[in-house]
Amino acid sequence: MIDDNPAIDDTHLVDKDSLTTVDMGVNLGGLLMANPVTVGSGTFGNGKQYAGFYPLNRLGAITTKGVSGVPWAGNDNPRIAETASGMLNSIGLQNPGVESFVADELPWLATCGVPVIVNVSGHNASEYAAVIQRLETESAVSAYELNISCPNIDCGGMGFGTDPQTAYAVTQLCRKSTSRPLIVKLTPNVTDISEIACAVEAAGADAISLINTVLGMAIDVKRRRPVLARKVGGLSGPAIKPIALRMIYEVYQAVKIPLLGMGGICTASDAIEFMLAGATAVAIGTANFTDPMTAPTVVDGIREFCLEQNIPRVSELTGALL
Amino acid sequence: MVMSDMTYPACNADNNRMEPGLGGGQPRQEFCSVLDNGFMAESIAKIRLLAPYVAENCHPGQFVHLRLPNLEAHILRRPFSVYAADARSGEIQLLYQTVGAGTEHLTTVGRGAQIDVIGPIGRGWQPQPSAKRVLLVGGGLGVAPLYMLAASFRTDVEVHLVMGAQSADRLICREPFSTYITEPCLHITTDDGSAGQHCFTTKVVKDLLDEGSFDYIATCGPEAMQKAVAALAAEHKTVCEVSLERRMACGIGACLSCMVETINGPQRACVDGPVFSALEVIW
Repeated sequence: MIDDNPAIDDTHLVDKDSLTTVDMGVNLGGLLMANPVTVGSGTFGNGKQYAGFYPLNRLGAITTKGVSGVPWAGNDNPRIAETASGMLNSIGLQNPGVESFVADELPWLATCGVPVIVNVSGHNASEYAAVIQRLETESAVSAYELNISCPNIDCGGMGFGTDPQTAYAVTQLCRKSTSRPLIVKLTPNVTDISEIACAVEAAGADAISLINTVLGMAIDVKRRRPVLARKVGGLSGPAIKPIALRMIYEVYQAVKIPLLGMGGICTASDAIEFMLAGATAVAIGTANFTDPMTAPTVVDGIREFCLEQNIPRVSELTGALL
Repeated sequence: MVMSDMTYPACNADNNRMEPGLGGGQPRQEFCSVLDNGFMAESIAKIRLLAPYVAENCHPGQFVHLRLPNLEAHILRRPFSVYAADARSGEIQLLYQTVGAGTEHLTTVGRGAQIDVIGPIGRGWQPQPSAKRVLLVGGGLGVAPLYMLAASFRTDVEVHLVMGAQSADRLICREPFSTYITEPCLHITTDDGSAGQHCFTTKVVKDLLDEGSFDYIATCGPEAMQKAVAALAAEHKTVCEVSLERRMACGIGACLSCMVETINGPQRACVDGPVFSALEVIW
C-alpha cells in the first residue's frame, strides 16, 4: 500500500503508520462473524450465565451447549478433575433436548444480537439430522456445529469422528438437511486428523472445528480409584494447546474449508497463534471457567495486536505463518 | 458446603432461584485486597477480603468463587462459603481447611495481595419467615455458612446451634457464634470428648428433636452428617435445608459439573443450590 508518489491521491488507502481501526470480521464457511472469537460448546451454557459479565454481542458468535433430539441425563459424579494446567471432564452432554432448547433458550439467544451456532449431538446419524431438521425453521439459528467428537458418551459422539467413513456419512446426511453453514467438530483422539478432515470436507462441511478434548485420566492414589466416575474423560485447558495448534496446522494444509480453532486458548496471543497456524476463527473454552471475561479480553487483544502490527483486516492473520 | 478445594458453594435470600447474569443480586467479578489471612487451628485458616460488592449483596449461605493468585497451573477457581460479611466496611471473611494444593497455596497469600473473586453466588438459606424455633447443625467447617444465618434471625426467634468438631481446639467459631447463641441453646460435640459432649452432632440433634419441636433446621458439614440430620428432620416432619458440596468448575451454572440428584431432576449445586430443601435431595 505504500506509494511514494505524492501526486497520487492515496488518502483512501490505509496509512500503515496511523492505523486506527481493524476490520475484525471473518467468514467462517458462510457464517459472518463480527470478530473471530466464539466460545467452546459446553463451557458457556447457552450464554445466560455470562450475560451478567459482558454483553454477548462482544463475541463473534455464541456456540451453544450440545443439543440432542431427546433429553440426555449425562454422567455420574464426579464429572470433573483438575489436572496440571488443565482439567478432565465427563459431563456426558447433559441437555434437556431440542424441544426444550427451542422453547427455553432460543428466544433469549435471539435477543443477543450475535450469531448462534447450535452444537448438535446424536447417537447415530439420523439423530443428528433430526435435530437439524427441527431447528431449520428457527430463524435464531445461524449455523450448526456437529459434535462427532465427544469422548464422554458410549454410543455416538467420538465414535463418528474417529473413522473417515462414518464421519463422511453423518456429515453428508446433515448436509442434506440444511443449507445453513455446517461446521463439523473433530476429535484429536485419532492417528491422522487430516484424513477425517478431508472426509467431512468431501461430505459437504462448510467449516471444521478442532480440537475437542483429549482423552485422559486421573487417579486418586489413596483410594486407588479413577477420580472421574466414568474413569476417563476429556482433557482441556492450556495443557492441550500445543496439540491443538499442531492439528490446526496440519488440517490447514489438508483442506480448503475454513477452520475454527480451539484447545487451551487463554489469551489473545494464544488466539493469534491459532490463526497464524490456519484458523479463521477461534473458540474460548475452559478459560471461561478460569475467568468469565476471557473471551472479550481476547477480542480486544487481537484488535490491539493488529493495530500494533499494522494489520488492517484480522482475516489476514489466517494461515500467515511464515 | 463449607470450604475446600474445588467443592463447596451456597444462595440468594430472595425466594427466586438465581440465574447468574439475569436480574438483581447477580454475581460480579471483583478484584479484592487481602486484609489478612492466617491459621486459626491446625489446617484451618481464615482470610479477610475487601470485597464491597459481595459484602453488600451476600445472603446467608451464598458462596464466592476465588481464582488463586500465582497458581497458573491450577486453572479452576475454588468455591468458599461466605462466613461473615459487613456491608459498611466492605469486608468479607472466609474460613477454609487446607485439603489440597489450592487451599495450601491460599495460606501463603498475604495482606495486600489481590484476589479475583466472583460472587455472591447461589441459593442461600431460606427459613420460613414465620419460624420461631430453629436449629442449626454444623459439622467441622460446616458451621461457617451458618454464621450469617444465625445473625439474621429476629431476637424473638429461639435459635439453637449444634456445633461439632474433631476436638476442642478446632471449635474456632464458638466465640463468634456466642454473640447470637448462648447456653442453653448452644450444644457442642467433639469426636474426642475434649469439649462438650463426646459424640457426633446427630445424637444431640436426635435428642433435641425428641424433646421439643422446631420450625426449621439448617445443616452443613460432612454429607453423611447432613443426610442423617435430614432423615431425623423428616422423621419429625420438620422443614430442613442442607448445603451441599460438589466438584465445581465455572461456579455460575454453565458447565454442569456440580450436579445434585433431586426429585426435581438434576440440579446445579452452584446456582440451584448449594442450599437445597432436604426433602428434594436424593441421597
